[in-house]
Amino acid sequence: MKQKPLTMTRVALGSLLRKPATVPYPAARKPVYLATRGHIAIEEDKCNLCLICDRRCPTGAIAVDRTGKTWAIDRLRCIQCNHCVDVCPRKCLAMENDYTTPMQMKRSDVVPVPFTPPQPKPKPAAAPAPTSDSPLQAKEERPGERNHEPPDQSSAD
Amino acid sequence: MNLFRKSPWIIHYDGASCNGCDIEVLACLTPRYDVERLGIINTGNPKHADILLITGYINEQSQPVVRTIYEQMPDPKVVVAVGICASSGGIFRDCYNTKGGVDSTIPVDIYVPGCAARPESIMDGVVQALDLLERKRKEKKTRRRAIAPTPTSEVPTP
Amino acid sequence: MANRTVIPFGPQHPVLPEPIHLDLVIEDEHVVEAIPSFGFIHRGLEKLVEKKDFTEFTFIAERICGICSYIHGMGYCQAVETVMGLEIPERAKWLRTMWSELSRIHSHMMWLGLLADAFGFENLFMACWRLREGILDVIEETSGGRVIFGAAKVGGCRRDVPDDLLARIPAQLNAVEDELRAITNVFRDDFSVRQRLCGVGLLSRNDAYDLGAVGPMLRASGVAQDSRLDGYAAYDKIAVEPIVEESGDCWGRTMVRIREIYQSFDILRHVLPNVPPGPVDMKITGAPKGEFFARLEQPRGEVIYYVKGNGTKFLDRFRVRTPTFANIPPLLKMLQGCQLADVPVIVLTIDPCISCAER
Repeated sequence: MKQKPLTMTRVALGSLLRKPATVPYPAARKPVYLATRGHIAIEEDKCNLCLICDRRCPTGAIAVDRTGKTWAIDRLRCIQCNHCVDVCPRKCLAMENDYTTPMQMKRSDVVPVPFTPPQPKPKPAAAPAPTSDSPLQAKEERPGERNHEPPDQSSAD
Repeated sequence: MNLFRKSPWIIHYDGASCNGCDIEVLACLTPRYDVERLGIINTGNPKHADILLITGYINEQSQPVVRTIYEQMPDPKVVVAVGICASSGGIFRDCYNTKGGVDSTIPVDIYVPGCAARPESIMDGVVQALDLLERKRKEKKTRRRAIAPTPTSEVPTP
Repeated sequence: MANRTVIPFGPQHPVLPEPIHLDLVIEDEHVVEAIPSFGFIHRGLEKLVEKKDFTEFTFIAERICGICSYIHGMGYCQAVETVMGLEIPERAKWLRTMWSELSRIHSHMMWLGLLADAFGFENLFMACWRLREGILDVIEETSGGRVIFGAAKVGGCRRDVPDDLLARIPAQLNAVEDELRAITNVFRDDFSVRQRLCGVGLLSRNDAYDLGAVGPMLRASGVAQDSRLDGYAAYDKIAVEPIVEESGDCWGRTMVRIREIYQSFDILRHVLPNVPPGPVDMKITGAPKGEFFARLEQPRGEVIYYVKGNGTKFLDRFRVRTPTFANIPPLLKMLQGCQLADVPVIVLTIDPCISCAER
């Protein structure tokens, strides 16, 4: 087969003449796209603590506490699948384009939700029971610990 | 940033990941992101490395490998867990072969979230690791000075 | 008789991005036998179907492998849809075709870079990966993720791509393709590249067929086999010609992949203007009952998904036969008799994706 000389030299010279491909990251950054999946944000005013995101999250990253009235997300568990945004009935969750910054400790982002559930409902105690004690303890995990099932720690003791 | 700081070399090991974070770690080395301009070089030898980047969670078979690599690295060293799987086990947390995140085996200093972790995020993590490395080096120096008069005393493990 | 030595290769090795372990039995400089050992990335995710319901399992199927992530998700969804007897909307089919071709281009370009790195051509490695970022930009703009697309869903696609974006993509692709020509010319014409690749790792047509090689491995040995001819997604409306090389060595496999990149560009140029309007997903009711084998063509070759549903929302069994797994026996055959210095190149030409193979 025919052989052409200096093919790579041409590529290398071309790269010399082109403007640099590098985005000097900490100084400048590539613009994000509209579709980019970064992190989950909540509009806490709209949330009614319905627990659907908590139940449907494939990694169990979201913890909703109905008694403490908080919505918490563990950024180190969230896989940005957008599933919670899809299933949220009130459309109060949104996928922002910025990624989460690295962290040195494991912690959850806890958002207080100013929602008061209507009191005279027939079964007020049934739903919050499974998660009532878990989220506050899951937040204080140390990095050395295994965190397979944080909700069970209190019940096992 | 201090211009005369040591250039840290990184070693990358794929614990048990889906490859997504691995190719992003490699993408950091390539022209678009190019961490070599920060003096960071990817090396294959644990004894040359200062920063250990681990992607993916730990399973039964990779656990001794990870532990060996960690023990071979010289002090001070920083471990960066890249991606959700390395941080907490991620979506594979419920698998029967999972031991959990990297912190189930070796101490982790920095967690880089993201599935897959974006190159920018990994670079942020590495830059944080640089600061940590510097701090650990100073700590080590002061500790060495403190134990200097009694050479027989036990060498502190980090 | 020369001395026999066993050299362990991996799991942590500079040329390998992933852990694979090979015990190479060496006689002088020649490899007599290669013994692989696996399990460094075994996750056991097939068993997770018992814990996650069949719609949520798509997220796990997408994370079987980060390189061909979309096709894994899509193959799983396709198998479930066939079991449930769903006919997904036409637009979803065309978008699926678009994303799977984009992921083929990105995978092959990445592989070209890794191959250049394996034979020590750092400059070429950087050039390939620089261009690959252009494809990743298109992927991120359409699907939202750089490597994990997150766009597959049982019953269609999870997100729609606006028409003005679809109209803009061909220009971006053409720009990448123009620059890529210069780089693939290097693979084709450069003296040192041909020195390293021609005649290395020979796999005859019969061996490739008998040992069950798939994808570019099989096609580089002269067998015209391509699962896209089955016409899943929108491939039944697109003429796909399997790309065949006769040489059966590392250079042939490189050429197959390079020509497949250009073929994918051609397919995309046909697909993008023809995406029909309409919805991208449909409502699914009920649960899968029955079983099905779905065959798809991944960048690395044919992949098989087996799904067995029992009428509840948890599947009975899910099984993937990934292309790398099928390509390991031919790899061991190729390694017999090669020189030790050629081992990294030969291992890379099967395009090993260990996380696929071990799941």
